[in-house]
Amino acid sequence: MGISKPLMETPAIVLNQLRHTYDGKRFALDGVSFEVRKGEVFGLLGKNGAGKTTLIKAMTTLIRPTSGSLSILGRDPVRQGKEIRNRIGVVQQSESFDFTSVEGNFDIYGVLWGVPKDLRQRRREELIERFELGEFRKQRSFDLSGGQQRRVQVAREFMHDMEILFLDEPTVGLDVIMRRKLLDSIKEEVRGGLTVVFTTHNLEEADYLCDRVAVVDSGKILVLDTLENLKRLYGGKKTIEVTVGGGDAGRFYDALAHSLGSEATLKREGNSALLLVQDPRVVLSKITELAGATGVQLEWLNIRKNTLEDVFLSTVSGEAEHGTS
Amino acid sequence: MALPNLLRLMYRNFRVNTDPGSLVILIGLPALYLVFFGFGFSSLGGGGTKGTSYLSFLTPGIMAFQVVMAGTVGGSILWADRRWGMLAQLLVSPFTRLEYLLGIMLTSVLMGIAGAFTMLVVALALLGSVPVGGFGLGIIVVTLILGSILFGSAMLFISALVKSSNAYNSIQVLMIFIVNFASTVFYPDSPSLPLPIQVLFAVNPLTYVADIVRDSYFGLLTVTDAYRLLLLTVEAVVLLYVATRAYMRSDVSMK
Repeated sequence: MGISKPLMETPAIVLNQLRHTYDGKRFALDGVSFEVRKGEVFGLLGKNGAGKTTLIKAMTTLIRPTSGSLSILGRDPVRQGKEIRNRIGVVQQSESFDFTSVEGNFDIYGVLWGVPKDLRQRRREELIERFELGEFRKQRSFDLSGGQQRRVQVAREFMHDMEILFLDEPTVGLDVIMRRKLLDSIKEEVRGGLTVVFTTHNLEEADYLCDRVAVVDSGKILVLDTLENLKRLYGGKKTIEVTVGGGDAGRFYDALAHSLGSEATLKREGNSALLLVQDPRVVLSKITELAGATGVQLEWLNIRKNTLEDVFLSTVSGEAEHGTS
Repeated sequence: MALPNLLRLMYRNFRVNTDPGSLVILIGLPALYLVFFGFGFSSLGGGGTKGTSYLSFLTPGIMAFQVVMAGTVGGSILWADRRWGMLAQLLVSPFTRLEYLLGIMLTSVLMGIAGAFTMLVVALALLGSVPVGGFGLGIIVVTLILGSILFGSAMLFISALVKSSNAYNSIQVLMIFIVNFASTVFYPDSPSLPLPIQVLFAVNPLTYVADIVRDSYFGLLTVTDAYRLLLLTVEAVVLLYVATRAYMRSDVSMK
């Protein structure tokens, strides 16, 4: 569950019709608008290449958006980038280390952020303990495994104070236990007033941590709501998994989508499909009827309770695939 | 009280680049040149110029050579930071692109000066005394600053353009070799050299750095050195401008 806490009035982040193109042809961000409140954990969900990292880069002043407006902590990133960067923390998706030991990386980062020596040492020790880095604190960061590097990178960001923390897929490569510890650490910081913007593929994480989530695809926000509302919206639905063999699978799924109309959302991948439905009985009868009519064989048919992942998949695929929701 | 941004960046650059392995290359290698070449070539007889021993002749040359080594440090910092994500990380921290660039340039300059004076100390230990005076030392420092900026800019320019590790290392090694050996660091310019090599000597900025440092070291400064210093200044400013433009336009990350 997301963290419930009183939210303050002034937004920490405001995006208005933000657009960005890297090559002048395709828009990586295409009219993105949303607000993030202070003290909120805001999740950005989307598949690879959806535009999540570009959004993070724009909000952290690393790129200048092609058009639209953006305000971070009431400041303009183009004219007041340095002021903004003084008040944010960023864990980027790709690795970023200095060629030195784990504890050396903590020290250097603390110096870069102007953390006084005593506090720097105290925080370093606390973070090394909290993120269980003691065993390899003397090792060079580049010699660590991917998961260990990720832990160092996330932990290092807590060396300095900040008002907004941007985390670009921070749990990639972490095992289940460490992932939970990291999320709990973030929750703890949020209780102290930190605003968090968090990108992930993992919907359980979003469910555990976020107050609100935005589903991003092709540079656009498809859905933005609290997890409670999203679940309420899709919660009563069921997911049917279908795999067919023999015959013309394309013809079968086209006929099925046409027949179901707005009764279901269908996402097809090869010979298989996921259907998000309200009443599985009606849909099942249509599936068996159309399988006979189109000459395909039903190789797999399964009905299960809808998960947040299904909501995500149906939202992302909804505009491009068959059917509507 | 927290240090200014520039000093924090310089602290980081020094800390990351002064591990034992880097120091062996930066200081140890030139010191070994001084020892082995200095004594080795002295044994051929004939010595250096103006009646000095070859070791004495080589000392200011190796001091000048430190500006090339310092330049490679600057270039390597930028290249590694782009390759390993630290440039992008620093640019979402309280630093501007320009501060980052200045941090690298100042690091290169300080490393150039420190390296050169380390060579002077090594020479003092080997020779027992060195002829350089206070004024000469002042001119040497100015020359080293300009030389470090010049070669630092050249390497920054390459770092801003090259993405492949192999390509970067090859260019760096080739540049060090050509710049070093087609200059007056190890031997004096002479009319007996083949014309192409004489031309290389003449267009190589390290020749000017080495000549000014050598004349300062021996107390033989002339008006020619003033012209050399002027030329070096112009070249350093132009290269710094070109490198800054290339860096400001380059991607912050190679990924």
